[in-house]
Amino acid sequence: MSNQKKRNFQIEAFKHRVVVDPKYADKTWQILERAIHQIYNQDASGLSFEELYRNAYNMVLHKFGEKLYTGFIVTMTAHLKEKSKLIEAAQGGSFLEELNKKWNEHNKALEMIRDILMYMDRTYIESTKKTHVHPMGLSLWRDNVVHFTKIHTRLLNTLLDLVQKERTGEVIDRGLMRNVIKMFMDLGESVYQEDFEKPFLDASSEFYKVESQEFIESCDCGDYLKKAEKRLTEEIDRVGHYLDPKSEEKITSVVEKEMIANHMQRLVHMDNSGLVYMLLHDKYEDLGRMYNLFRRVTNGLLTVRDVMTSHLREMGKQLVTDPEKSKDPVEFVQRLLDERDKYDKVISTAFGNDKTFQNALNSSFEYFINLNARSPEFISLFVDDKLRKGIKGIVDVDVEVILDKVMMLFRYLQEKDVFEKYYKQHLAKRLLSGKTVSDDAERSLIVKLKTECGYQFTSKLEGMFTDMKTSEDTMRGFYGSHPELSEGPTLIVQVLTTGSWPTQPAVPCNLPAEVSVLCEKFRSYYLGTHTGRRLTWQTNMGTADIKAVFGKGQKHELNVSTFQMCVLMLFNNADRLSYKEIEQATEIPASDLKRCLQSLACVKGKNVIKKEPMSKDIGEEDSFYVNEKFTSKFYKVKIGTVVAQKETEPEKQETRQRVEEDRKPQIEAAIVRIMKSRKILDHNNIIAEVTKQLQPRFLANPTEIKKRIEALIERDFLERDSTDRKLYRYLA
Amino acid sequence: MGISKDRIKFNVGGRLFETTATTLANAGRDSFFGALFDDGWNLSPQDSVIFVDRNSDCFAVLLDLLRTGDLNVPANIPERLLHREASFYGLLDHVRTARWGPFDGNRLRLSDSVKGTSPGDGTAIRAGPDGGCCVAHGSVVHVYDWMLEEHSPINLDYQRVNDVGWIDSDNIVLSACERLGRGDGGMGLFSSSSGDLRYKFQVSHDNQVKSYTAGALSFSPDYEIFASCKGRSNEYGIGVWDQITGKQTDFFYESPGWSLGDADKLQWLNGKNCLLVATLFPRKDNCYISLLDFRDKNMVWSWSDIGSPMAIDEKRVRDAIAMEDSNSICVVNEFEDLGFIDLRMYGGSVRWSSRSKLMKSKMPDEPCYPKLALHEGQLFSSMNDSISVFRGPDWVLTSRLRRSYGGSICDFSIGGDRLFALHSEENVFDVWETPPPPII
Repeated sequence: MSNQKKRNFQIEAFKHRVVVDPKYADKTWQILERAIHQIYNQDASGLSFEELYRNAYNMVLHKFGEKLYTGFIVTMTAHLKEKSKLIEAAQGGSFLEELNKKWNEHNKALEMIRDILMYMDRTYIESTKKTHVHPMGLSLWRDNVVHFTKIHTRLLNTLLDLVQKERTGEVIDRGLMRNVIKMFMDLGESVYQEDFEKPFLDASSEFYKVESQEFIESCDCGDYLKKAEKRLTEEIDRVGHYLDPKSEEKITSVVEKEMIANHMQRLVHMDNSGLVYMLLHDKYEDLGRMYNLFRRVTNGLLTVRDVMTSHLREMGKQLVTDPEKSKDPVEFVQRLLDERDKYDKVISTAFGNDKTFQNALNSSFEYFINLNARSPEFISLFVDDKLRKGIKGIVDVDVEVILDKVMMLFRYLQEKDVFEKYYKQHLAKRLLSGKTVSDDAERSLIVKLKTECGYQFTSKLEGMFTDMKTSEDTMRGFYGSHPELSEGPTLIVQVLTTGSWPTQPAVPCNLPAEVSVLCEKFRSYYLGTHTGRRLTWQTNMGTADIKAVFGKGQKHELNVSTFQMCVLMLFNNADRLSYKEIEQATEIPASDLKRCLQSLACVKGKNVIKKEPMSKDIGEEDSFYVNEKFTSKFYKVKIGTVVAQKETEPEKQETRQRVEEDRKPQIEAAIVRIMKSRKILDHNNIIAEVTKQLQPRFLANPTEIKKRIEALIERDFLERDSTDRKLYRYLA
Repeated sequence: MGISKDRIKFNVGGRLFETTATTLANAGRDSFFGALFDDGWNLSPQDSVIFVDRNSDCFAVLLDLLRTGDLNVPANIPERLLHREASFYGLLDHVRTARWGPFDGNRLRLSDSVKGTSPGDGTAIRAGPDGGCCVAHGSVVHVYDWMLEEHSPINLDYQRVNDVGWIDSDNIVLSACERLGRGDGGMGLFSSSSGDLRYKFQVSHDNQVKSYTAGALSFSPDYEIFASCKGRSNEYGIGVWDQITGKQTDFFYESPGWSLGDADKLQWLNGKNCLLVATLFPRKDNCYISLLDFRDKNMVWSWSDIGSPMAIDEKRVRDAIAMEDSNSICVVNEFEDLGFIDLRMYGGSVRWSSRSKLMKSKMPDEPCYPKLALHEGQLFSSMNDSISVFRGPDWVLTSRLRRSYGGSICDFSIGGDRLFALHSEENVFDVWETPPPPII
């Protein structure tokens, strides 16, 4: 029964269906089809939008959406096929123009057709999930025009030809180019990439492969880089003018690969124009260009850096090992500073202050500065020179600059403790002789050393300054309590703390009576104010100003060392003295006495005494008398001691030995520190850790470390493991 | 560009209208008017009248809509006619926007009650993203668009629908019971406009496709679908599928002594990157609430009332919802007492706010369990024939929505700036909207 009911229902439904004009759909479609034709023929002025929209609406409303949709596709396809024939017929240069014109027409038409079919777009297409009108119109164009066999390759070749022409310097219609390429982009990213970008990149790659080969055969490195840079900017411009911005990265990487990456080694190493040439001849602009271009390719900068580093090392090695060049320490350091300045400038102006290059520069300097064992001494001497006199007249800011540069070199030193040794000696001389020019500059350098190496490094240096200051106060106190001393010779004593100053064995000598009286007074004053102290006279380090009257009454003030004073004072009571007599009277050690006499008698213009026989060297049998004819245009005459500023070979050995001695306890301390925390460690690891810990001060020698370990084993700090002889144990 | 050039005259179905191009520009380019005034179409000279063969009354309403942005439909114009005309001009979206304002639980007004053809006892109602909704009844899901026009129902051939969810305005996911011996059931993706099955989601276990019953559903913004699943043997737990590929991407198996596959409610917590899974009385004798982290397959938080003193059965948790902002889970019992569990503590207890003991006396004959929903800081709780609106952080009752026709509210849902409430005795659902903002 229910079945029957169901059937009835169906029949009823059938009966009541509204039957529209069977030809309705065809008629309406004809109207729309005609309109599409007219739109494509640019004859749309007579069309009524309202009527067409309503007709398309009605077709969808009356369930003829499918017919409308397929009709639109068929009609549009027919039009595009026709257009593609017209485009194909266009000859030569007009081909692209024709294509562009037809493309614009199609776009215009497509928009109008979409307007008419808007309702279909919204409802029918939406619910059936078909392709919307606009993308459909684009893919029809793609399939029927762009991919049409007779257009496809021709279009591509035309475009590539134009690019090629532009590369060879011809002027092309960029506007047209842009429009056509824009068409590819409008058709979708994949169309642009497949149908244009990929072949374009391939062609470019081929072009630059050939061109770069040509260039590299005919140009020097600088010119080549200029050309490469120009090509690169051209390609970037080209992208800006008529390609998809996304292509920039791809085309530049093609140029980079073909023009730079493939020829990198050859460019860098080019004779008489490569990187080394540029560095030697200060070609900042070319260097900058090289940096900017090589930065773009993998390993580009690495190559540049490697070549620069090896050049720097080679150059530096020559600089520091050439015996000719290390004669004058000041010049030696100045040359190092100049090189550093130069490369600093290269890196800052041409290499964009690249950190990795700075590191390479630093490691190179570190490498070659330490090739010359005398570098620490020379750097200290350079500072000494600057602080003695060089800085006079230079403003503080410049002093800072020089000191900062010196610190830079200091940082490269592996044997910082050697530097410390020398610096202490030189500083002591400066302070005691009152030759230091600027206290501020001295202190500033100390502060710099302190920040670099810590308190321990500079504590003794600072102690030296404190001594100088305290001595001034002591002297004031001494003369305050002995007003009777304002007449007669003036004694200035600098009390030096043992340990703070470079130790030199105290060389005794007999002071002239006038002076030794004063010394005794000072001794009793000083020991009276400070209990539990001991004073030793370091006569070898003192100076004296003495007034002298010569034969014809010429008066001079002579600035001499304490030893020299002792010698000269003898002549107050005698006209002529033999070497033996002087030696007996003063008790100055022979080597010092000889040096002192030499400077008094043998230096032209300063020879206040004469000797017999006249010769350069002092002999045991020589005798001396006052040079009554001594003249000088200055009232004050400084009589220097003949001292080599640079250390002599034995002195150097001695300093070296002292440094080695000083290192021993430091190495031992480091070993004990490490073992205390590790308890057990094998030999290689101890060496590595000790070296690491001592790095800021000096580079520890592995054999020395081994010796120290053995010494510690002897003293029962450590023991060897009974089974594994390479293991050490800490003994608490 | 004189002023006169801006003037446009229309003859719509015989009635003259005059307006300006500026007003019509409000319709946008993708509309009848946008196309009409495009340069491609050579409009006849200025003072001539553009003829449009459409209903003039509706044109007047739509022209006013373009002028003011307000929609005022006179009583004599049927909604359907107006929508038809708006669709012709491409102004349907304008009508939809002007119809109701941004959702605010305290300003809701009843805009419609829709009576369905099926009897009462609906399973679920779910609001769609653009103002439509769907109602599940037994094995049929009725789909309504925002104009409240019913589309072809989704018919599941006698499988009972457990839950429904919208993926977007065009796609609905159903979860259904498996029927013994048929091997079907599970989850399917359906077209909301045509009701056609588009895709079936499968559960695989050891590379074998298994039949299963899908329960509660939830969706994450990362295009994942979660469903509680019960299979024949091992497939108890929470399944995860990719919305785009439709492939199963994960499965969280239920551990012994805990319940996941029977869960009544799933809720994706975007901030915590976790899924809340709640199995509640009376589906099971006890309540199990847990948070699952799928990245490391870990249950990061859980709560259960097993073993807690159950002197009177009034404190049975009937629904739960996580509130990420206040780091707590809100639960409700059958007397609409709200309770809160702290999410930051493991093994915390429910802090009940004993608000409405009075309700106990007047329980209706056919009670529906309360349900909870959260929307932009407002908490909604249904009880009998009304929905209460609470506002954080103290969850104060701020509004109550009530309409007594149709019996108790068995389910409600918020979405597309609308609240839909489904009644249980009669198959009626109410549509609540926020009116457009005031004129001044």
